[in-house]
Amino acid sequence: MGLWSIIKKIKEKEKEMRLLMLGLDNAGKTTIVKKFNGEDIDTISPTLGFNIKTLEYKNYKLNVWDIGGQQTLRSYWRNYFEETDGLIWVVDSADVVRLNDCKRELDKLLQEEKLAGASLLILANKQDLKNALSKDEIAKILDLDVNNNKLMTNRHWHLEKCSAVTGEGLVDGVDWIVEDIASRIFLLE
Amino acid sequence: MASPQTRKPKPDEVLKHTKPTDSFLCPLSANTAGIQFLQFKIRNTEDGSTIFETSAEESAKELLNLDSIDENALRTIKYQFDKSFLRTKSIGTTDSLVFQVGDKPVQNFRMIERHYFKEKLLKSFDFNFKFCIPNSVNSWECIYEMPTLSEKEAKEIEDHPYETKSDSFYFVNDGDLIMHNKASYAYVDKK
Repeated sequence: MGLWSIIKKIKEKEKEMRLLMLGLDNAGKTTIVKKFNGEDIDTISPTLGFNIKTLEYKNYKLNVWDIGGQQTLRSYWRNYFEETDGLIWVVDSADVVRLNDCKRELDKLLQEEKLAGASLLILANKQDLKNALSKDEIAKILDLDVNNNKLMTNRHWHLEKCSAVTGEGLVDGVDWIVEDIASRIFLLE
Repeated sequence: MASPQTRKPKPDEVLKHTKPTDSFLCPLSANTAGIQFLQFKIRNTEDGSTIFETSAEESAKELLNLDSIDENALRTIKYQFDKSFLRTKSIGTTDSLVFQVGDKPVQNFRMIERHYFKEKLLKSFDFNFKFCIPNSVNSWECIYEMPTLSEKEAKEIEDHPYETKSDSFYFVNDGDLIMHNKASYAYVDKK
């Protein structure tokens, strides 16, 4: 038995996954986590550090690390990369002006070696807003094209449109990332 | 000659404790990271109802009501929970903690909490926050499964208020103890 299969076994026992949520400020990261967890979303203030939450979902224990997205905080994101099984990148689909910033920050993350093995879920949030761009438009601006964007090669990724207000798309997105991580990390029973 | 208390324990040592400590294992001044707890809340995971809640503001008010403030009072919290808490089969609670840190980055912030009834370990948890951003406000929420107790055990705990105790240890960097707080628990008729 090689080291890798031993590691797989240990992880399987705990069925624990570490999910890192990043994105520009005001993308809706904290709101998404709260909505997904069935909590009240009326009083959410900007995250000035991190919110860590352990959720039990489908026999897995999800350790969700939601880190503040303000510009002054972004240089600290790297401190949370280690041991990340899944990266959830949250996009404010209605913040058209900052979509280029959004792409630039995502591209930086995709070049990080410590995140190279992480499954990537991109949530095109705020689809409940009238001026929100569609999934296809977001995919185009973020250049989510494996044939065109070298950073996307060999990466497990998925784009889901969602709304943290209505809850649309959240379960589908989380299901994808949990199943993708499970198929990579845990031995099949 | 160094007394045993001047040498602060490392995480692997406190993980071996089998009962609450007799004293605090570091002085209040050890908190060089400027960590301050702002809010603590315990909720019932099933229905989301709040079981216990306190904030820095409320704790400060309580301290003002004391005749004299001694170090023990500052570092020990007494909780009263409803009796049913001991008996609900596998009750889940969500504990959430909000804290702020000082103006320097904090590396390897680790929290270890040990709960005992007399000399029996009821539960223990160990969580590493890894890193805290300077001047940040952070929250942490985790789901607890209460250990299932027999009726005899539950009754014994209930009959001995505040003999259920916990030690909370907080470490930074290479396992340097910076805070040690205590709590004790009574289970009464609150409904």
